Amino acid sequence: MTWPAGVDPGTTIGGGTAVFRRPRPTALGYLGLPLVLLAVCAVLFLWVGQQELGSIERRVLTPARLSSAFVEHMALTILSTVFVILIAIPLGILLTRPAARAIVPPVIALANIGQAVPSIGILVLLALYWAIGFWPAIVALVIYSNLPVLRNTMVGLQQVDASTIEAGRGMGMTKAAALRKIEMPLAIPVILAGVRTALVINVGTAALATFVSAGGLGEIINAGITSSRPTITLVGSVLTACLALLIDHIGGIAEGRLSPKGL
Amino acid sequence: MSTTTSTAEPMIRLEGLTKVFPGQKKPAVESLDMDIPAGEIVVLVGPSGCGKTTTMRLINRLIEPTSGRIILEGEDVTDVNPDKLRRRIGYVIQQVGLFPHQTISDNIATVPKMLGWDSPRIKSRVDELLSMVGLEPATYRERYPKHLSGGQRQRAGVARALSADPPVMLMDEPFGAIDPITRDRLQNEFLRLQETIRKTIIFVTHDIDEAIKMGDRIAILREGSAIAQYDTPERILSAPTDDFVADFIGAGASLKRLNLSRVRDIALVDWPTAGTNSSRAEVLAALRASDKGAVLILDEQRRPVRWISGRDLGREDEPIAEAGHLPEAIIQPNATLADALNEMLKSRVGCAIVVDQSGAYQGTVDFATVSGEIQDMRRDARERSRAEAEGIHAEGSVNG
Repeated sequence: MTWPAGVDPGTTIGGGTAVFRRPRPTALGYLGLPLVLLAVCAVLFLWVGQQELGSIERRVLTPARLSSAFVEHMALTILSTVFVILIAIPLGILLTRPAARAIVPPVIALANIGQAVPSIGILVLLALYWAIGFWPAIVALVIYSNLPVLRNTMVGLQQVDASTIEAGRGMGMTKAAALRKIEMPLAIPVILAGVRTALVINVGTAALATFVSAGGLGEIINAGITSSRPTITLVGSVLTACLALLIDHIGGIAEGRLSPKGL
Repeated sequence: MSTTTSTAEPMIRLEGLTKVFPGQKKPAVESLDMDIPAGEIVVLVGPSGCGKTTTMRLINRLIEPTSGRIILEGEDVTDVNPDKLRRRIGYVIQQVGLFPHQTISDNIATVPKMLGWDSPRIKSRVDELLSMVGLEPATYRERYPKHLSGGQRQRAGVARALSADPPVMLMDEPFGAIDPITRDRLQNEFLRLQETIRKTIIFVTHDIDEAIKMGDRIAILREGSAIAQYDTPERILSAPTDDFVADFIGAGASLKRLNLSRVRDIALVDWPTAGTNSSRAEVLAALRASDKGAVLILDEQRRPVRWISGRDLGREDEPIAEAGHLPEAIIQPNATLADALNEMLKSRVGCAIVVDQSGAYQGTVDFATVSGEIQDMRRDARERSRAEAEGIHAEGSVNG
């Protein structure tokens, strides 16, 4: 005896638990923005080439110095975000377990303070009481951008339909298996959105790292400001903006690629 | 129908099962004893908050009992690893709970994968189950749950619960969130499926009509999951033990009772019949030989074609096959008496015609048959209850 295949009980396509869904981008979607940014940089390069440059400009705007600032900026952004991921996601998972309910408010309060204090303040405080340079800047960035990832991890896990988890547990999944195979995959889109936010915060805040001698494109901007050379400031600013847009774009692609299908 | 005298070991036995939730004084389930026989659908039904869902979750230990034992297939499973226990028990819930990020085939393969089946075996099992629940494997295997309608999702949920062929299934209002027409169809299909798979099923609902339809036995629960009556649907409807049960069944118990008897189980009433090529005189003779007011005309395959009354015979110009009126209210032997009654009310002649699969005339059901049947059922139930009460009484006096 079978359930007859011919008589489908209706063909309505339910929206179900679907989180809102972006269409999968095309090749143009992936490459469009990078090409525009490249064009902007090319125009900038040509324009600078036609300017009469003074000795200060010539000293600062060298390919070696620009590219090292660019790489430093990337390193600050990516490394700090990696640390944020390593800290905030496990912490978020921990805080959503029923046993941890009591410690949620203080931890969230702490994370809130981290984000509420102005980033420059954290940087300066760390420089004053610890050290200057690359690592203090990384620590400051991590403190500053922890909250979005932590909060999104928690929200992402909490919004997973309780009945879906119950179904899994009811079939004999262990708690760990339910977390790994149900909760995490279903929370991933929200968590990734948090990571992307952290990336964008970090790429912007890393421009301030120059004040604790941590390098980055902020150094170029600052050099332009302190020496009253608007061309230098412009180059540093445009490069920072292009990097920020590029990183956000890559974050968006990763979000789409890493989110599970079927949502 | 199920036998109450079965001495076989129950598939599930609950002994003094109790659950007190922390911070609550009253137990949600209080000292419940219950035997669930193998191969039957036992429906737990009761008002909301009576503890029926808690009781069901105690069985697969999604909720750990405060005290009492759970015996599955003769084995005490109260203290075994709950995750391993649950892999032996199918579980279907109202919200279905399909994993939205997995294809239907991956969803169904959940338990087999945990049990370490190899992939060819899993694949063939998934296809087998999909066809069993009426979802064409080639079409639905790689779809995601969001591409399925509510009814299709519930079918996939049933397939998933059956995946490792567990002897026991727990179903918590499985058809609760589905529109009434689809629900009715899914219920019928599930009952047909159950005829072949013969699982031991614990089915929770708050809907007494669904309980009557689905259950081989029904346990009507009151607060604290106390059993008010645990019996076959027939006897619950015919002989409710107390006012609580009677109130819960609600009005129209006799009408509900009619859903449980099928036309094939009762004696049919004969009507005068005649062939399409009979003469008027023959039809008239048949009519006069009976106490009925009309003759049923049958074609060569004995399929009903016309009703002809005495007055219709007066019109000489019409051939027999066109006289009178078309027969309405035609039912098959597997129709319930409720269906028969419903058809009968539409019929001008006041009876429902019973035909077999090929459409050939078998007999008819009329009001007298149905009301006689209701009285028989009541009397049977009363007698059985009395006999049982006396039995218990006798036993008690021996022990005392």
